[in-house]
Amino acid sequence: MSFAVTKMVQAQEVDLFAELEKESKKADSLRTEKVEATFKSTRLINGHTNETTRKGILDFRIQHRFGFISNGAYDLFGLDQASMRMSFDYGITDGIMVGVGRSTFEKQYDAFTKVRLLRQSKGLKAFPISVTYMGSMMYRTIKPPPTTYKRYWSDDMFFAHQLIIARKFSDALSLQIVPTVVHFNNVPLKTDKNDQLSLGIGGRQKISKRVSINAEYYYQLEQRVGYYNSFAIGFDIETGGHVFQLHFTNSTGMTERSFIHETTGDFFGKGNIHFGFNFQRAFTLKKSKGSRSGYKVS
Amino acid sequence: MKAKLLTTLWLCCTVVIYASIAQTTIFKVQSGRVDFKSEAPLELIKASSNQLVGLLDTKSKNFAFKIYMKSFDGFNGATQKEHYNENYIESDKFPEASYQGKLIDEIDFTKEGTYTVRTKGRLLIHGVEQERIIKSELTVTKDKMLLKSNFMVLLSDFNIPIPKVVSMKLANEIDVQLVATLVPR
Repeated sequence: MSFAVTKMVQAQEVDLFAELEKESKKADSLRTEKVEATFKSTRLINGHTNETTRKGILDFRIQHRFGFISNGAYDLFGLDQASMRMSFDYGITDGIMVGVGRSTFEKQYDAFTKVRLLRQSKGLKAFPISVTYMGSMMYRTIKPPPTTYKRYWSDDMFFAHQLIIARKFSDALSLQIVPTVVHFNNVPLKTDKNDQLSLGIGGRQKISKRVSINAEYYYQLEQRVGYYNSFAIGFDIETGGHVFQLHFTNSTGMTERSFIHETTGDFFGKGNIHFGFNFQRAFTLKKSKGSRSGYKVS
Repeated sequence: MKAKLLTTLWLCCTVVIYASIAQTTIFKVQSGRVDFKSEAPLELIKASSNQLVGLLDTKSKNFAFKIYMKSFDGFNGATQKEHYNENYIESDKFPEASYQGKLIDEIDFTKEGTYTVRTKGRLLIHGVEQERIIKSELTVTKDKMLLKSNFMVLLSDFNIPIPKVVSMKLANEIDVQLVATLVPR
């Protein structure tokens, strides 16, 4: 019987960790946690992701596309040509970012704002998806071909609005759908609409801790003659804080109006595929005093 | 006669059990803070959390502490914190670090003073458990205890590899400091 007593006392001793679990369970259940890092970068490939540049970070980017691989050996499979966009993105807060860029494609300038509206979170106040708004304007400065009508400078303006709805399904898998409207101030044909709708889908699947496979497809609701839907597939490679993206795409331009609605390459039929990369370098302009911890006990 | 003896024994036992339950010897962490530091040639990284929880039984000298890994804050920017959670600690998979075990050295908890004690236990970080002996300083006062500890954690021991590109920015030896106030539960 004394054996039973020691047994009981021992049982009481061993239970300390379980006791601790019990005690902290309440605090754990009150925790709400934002889901971070749905995607590694603010761009999936050509298009945006729901992520924004963090507060005080200046993000210099070079997006580069070589020529079509289908050009063959004469062009060294496209390496002789280049289409490039460089941009500066800046995070005003952790949820608002702005950016300006310039593309060699049609000598275009662009500016955009991205705002996080809702964030996926788990815990007490769980929410299944993240929603981010992206609005951009583009100004084409390439000299236009002669026209029979008088041209205004505003004819070269374009506007795009996107609602980026994303969800991180697991550590490795994230998907997003992106309803988009692009407004063309001037369209080449009378039958073309000024407001063109499209739906983008994209995602990433991590294959290791620092490498993921990305894919992106934008479906145009009304496809214009001579243009194709944009498709891209590639890799994200994280190298010590910087994300290097390598990919294949049929789009030459890298702003919403050019890659969604003015992709001339036929990816699957003719093999009009660009090899390309996005290169990024982040500079910390404003040091945040202790980042916010993304969770709170309410 | 035999029955009488048994009854007496039984009674004794019951008393002992009740006594051990009634007398609360368990202390719990009222407030606790854990700091860690990585001193690499090119970068100093610091983070801390005040979410330490834990229990210490002065009678059995058993203890259990744990901390929620996502609660660590500081770092050199939000991106670094994200990498800590995503790539190194993998806090979605391994949300907590814990240390549970026993005090090896004798302490008179009824006497006020500062004691240096060795603790022996299982340190769990990143899903990897390691048997450790960690020295701590325990200050006993009238109604509470102050616990201080400083120890090293090797990332390589806990299956946290350091990629070559950041080898100059992240040290393998992480300096951990723990401070906690314990009060009777």
